[in-house]
Amino acid sequence: MKVPFNYLPQQFGDATPYLEEWRKLAASGEFTLGPFVESFEAKFASYVGARHCISTNNGTDALILALKAAGIGAGDEVITVVNTFYATVGAIVAVGAKPVFVDCDERFQMDAEKISPAVTPKTRAILPVHWAGASPDVNRILDLAEAHGLAVIEDACPAVGAYVDGKHAGTFGKLGAFSMHPLKPLNVMGDGGMTVTDDDALADWMRKYRNHGMTDRDHIDFWGVNMRLQPFQAIVGSRVLDTVADLVRLRNRNARQLDAGLRQLPEFVTVAERPARHVEAQQLYMACFKRRDQLLQFLIGRGIEAKVHYPVPLHLQKAAAALGYKRGDFPVAERQAEHLITLPAHQFITAEQIDYILENIREFYLGTQGLGKLEETITVGR
Amino acid sequence: MKYDVPYTGLPQQVAPIKQDLLAAFERVMDSGRYILGPNLARFEEQFARLCGTAFAVGVANGTCALQMVWQALGLGPGDEVITAPNSFVATASSIALTGAKPVFVDIGPDLNLDPARIAAAITPRTRGIVPVHLTGRPARMAEIVRIAEKHGLFVLEDAAQAVGSRLDGRPVGSWGNAAGFSLHPLKNLFAYGDGGVITTPDESLRDKLRQIRNHGLSNRECCEFWSGNNRMDEMQSALLLVHLGALDQWTERRRALAHRYHELLSAMVETPVEGPGEYCVYQTYVIQAAARDDLQIHLQEHGVEALIHYRTPIHLQPAAAQLGYGPGDFPVTERAAGRILSLPLFPAMTYAQQDQVADLIHDFYQQRPERRAEGQAICESTV
Repeated sequence: MKVPFNYLPQQFGDATPYLEEWRKLAASGEFTLGPFVESFEAKFASYVGARHCISTNNGTDALILALKAAGIGAGDEVITVVNTFYATVGAIVAVGAKPVFVDCDERFQMDAEKISPAVTPKTRAILPVHWAGASPDVNRILDLAEAHGLAVIEDACPAVGAYVDGKHAGTFGKLGAFSMHPLKPLNVMGDGGMTVTDDDALADWMRKYRNHGMTDRDHIDFWGVNMRLQPFQAIVGSRVLDTVADLVRLRNRNARQLDAGLRQLPEFVTVAERPARHVEAQQLYMACFKRRDQLLQFLIGRGIEAKVHYPVPLHLQKAAAALGYKRGDFPVAERQAEHLITLPAHQFITAEQIDYILENIREFYLGTQGLGKLEETITVGR
Repeated sequence: MKYDVPYTGLPQQVAPIKQDLLAAFERVMDSGRYILGPNLARFEEQFARLCGTAFAVGVANGTCALQMVWQALGLGPGDEVITAPNSFVATASSIALTGAKPVFVDIGPDLNLDPARIAAAITPRTRGIVPVHLTGRPARMAEIVRIAEKHGLFVLEDAAQAVGSRLDGRPVGSWGNAAGFSLHPLKNLFAYGDGGVITTPDESLRDKLRQIRNHGLSNRECCEFWSGNNRMDEMQSALLLVHLGALDQWTERRRALAHRYHELLSAMVETPVEGPGEYCVYQTYVIQAAARDDLQIHLQEHGVEALIHYRTPIHLQPAAAQLGYGPGDFPVTERAAGRILSLPLFPAMTYAQQDQVADLIHDFYQQRPERRAEGQAICESTV
């Protein structure tokens, strides 16, 4: 049995509706922002419950735009979590600020209790990440930010479809950024991103900065850039958005099945807690495993496309050399980097495929004999 | 408003290759590979060949093409870069946003950077020169490269409007240390949305640009430096490959229409001419006309979409206030800004449409002989 990580050929298996949309777009000639982009922005803003959505060329640009809008620049420090995608830090550095890392918790999320010791007189903002489509303790982070007088800018890039207490990820802070990279829950056939905010003035500034600082074709208010979303991707995003709630439900069904199976192996596997108040988007299904590297090879050998996000925490990357961190500074992230595996659990994975993954993991740890015994225990337990 | 003669006619232009485009679209969609795949690699290879350079790097848009080169060079506060004030804002903003200072020098009668004025603008802080091949007409690269070499300056060609232009048989994009191109839908080679390319003869710069484009990664697990995301996607790359097959034909058509405009209009307005050794692609067809604003209104009111690129020179934009320039600093640029008018010129344009434009311009000056006289006087004074 094959259990693939990439589901795009299945998701976009029927080209017909997209070809139709593309014909409409081509006939309209609206390739620079325009009505398709605007209607997607309105739809996304209302989906997540934000006042404004400013779409961008990708999630990294969405983060850069949010940081710029918040006035973060040279000499400022931004606190973020050490186990995230490179772009979180790339965006902070792109605006001229210094990233300050804090460790994560056992749910792979920013550990709010590590924030206060990291605050200095130069700290301007906290940038929590909704890593893997789950959420950190955002309410605690908001309280801390208020106590220290800091802005909260959320990296919700992987987290369309994630909620805490019924409120969508990315809408807790002053600004939130999202990605529509092909392997995100809301995805397009290329790159795309969005920044959201409730602040009218910030939204206004962002719309201009995204498009060369223009008020109109002949007037340039300030130096800006081009980080526009492609209209075709706006059309794809708009269609996929209609399906996000369903696909997140399917991903959570798969995650629950994996959770239950893996919790039968507590000596070998650590599964994250799933707080009742959180809805996770399950962009990536991650857990920590003993003898990770051997298991990974074993699973790949069995046709299960497992991955690691990521084997090297950011503070140990070459790019971080100038920040002055060393091994041992973030023990939780470092331990997880050695043990975590991402298993395919997306919306096209079936219950049978999940069973196949679980059987193989059991076989790896318990051998074929042990496998039989465990099955028995589980059956008796039921 | 619906125009008899719109500024562009993309749907008609691509009609003959529509089936190829739809097939390319479907192939990419079915492949499930949407970013940094085989279509981009093929497009880069073909684009480099077109420009006569060793390397090309496909990026998200023409603005970030320029920005990425400066990022690779580490341009920043305290640095200066010499460029022309009569360009699209991105030429200057890509410099200013690094913290460096754009230093403008005035243009020549070809509306491109005047090499004779460059030396006077060079200071110990100067790092580079950005000649702009405005409208698809090549800047005077031989002289500019000579000055740059003498002073040890980096030459970044702003070729955003000039895919396919040549000077002395040598394509733009192959003269400098690097060049930035735009593939915006209003460009002669265009994507269905934004797109851009950087060309360079320097392999190590190419490698660095590829990393800058993709988060500073050397592979999925190794981040060498912090960077953003400036990728061109597979869909655009595949469609651009189809367009590359039609580009020569499109360019020849543009040139034929430009030469015909010259015959129809040169008695009334100042039309663009090709200097010795120049091969212009007429990405924009810009005349210089007396009573320009009235002429534009006259054309618009009679169904012709004429535009101005650009009404306000960059040094007079509010964004440039801190650079300390003012009116009168660049007289050639400022005078041209009041006279330039971009007429519709696109491969699918018909001769009948072109005649309609010419007739309207003729009528305009017939009804207003004093304006024509004024225009001619200015034309003559510039020769």
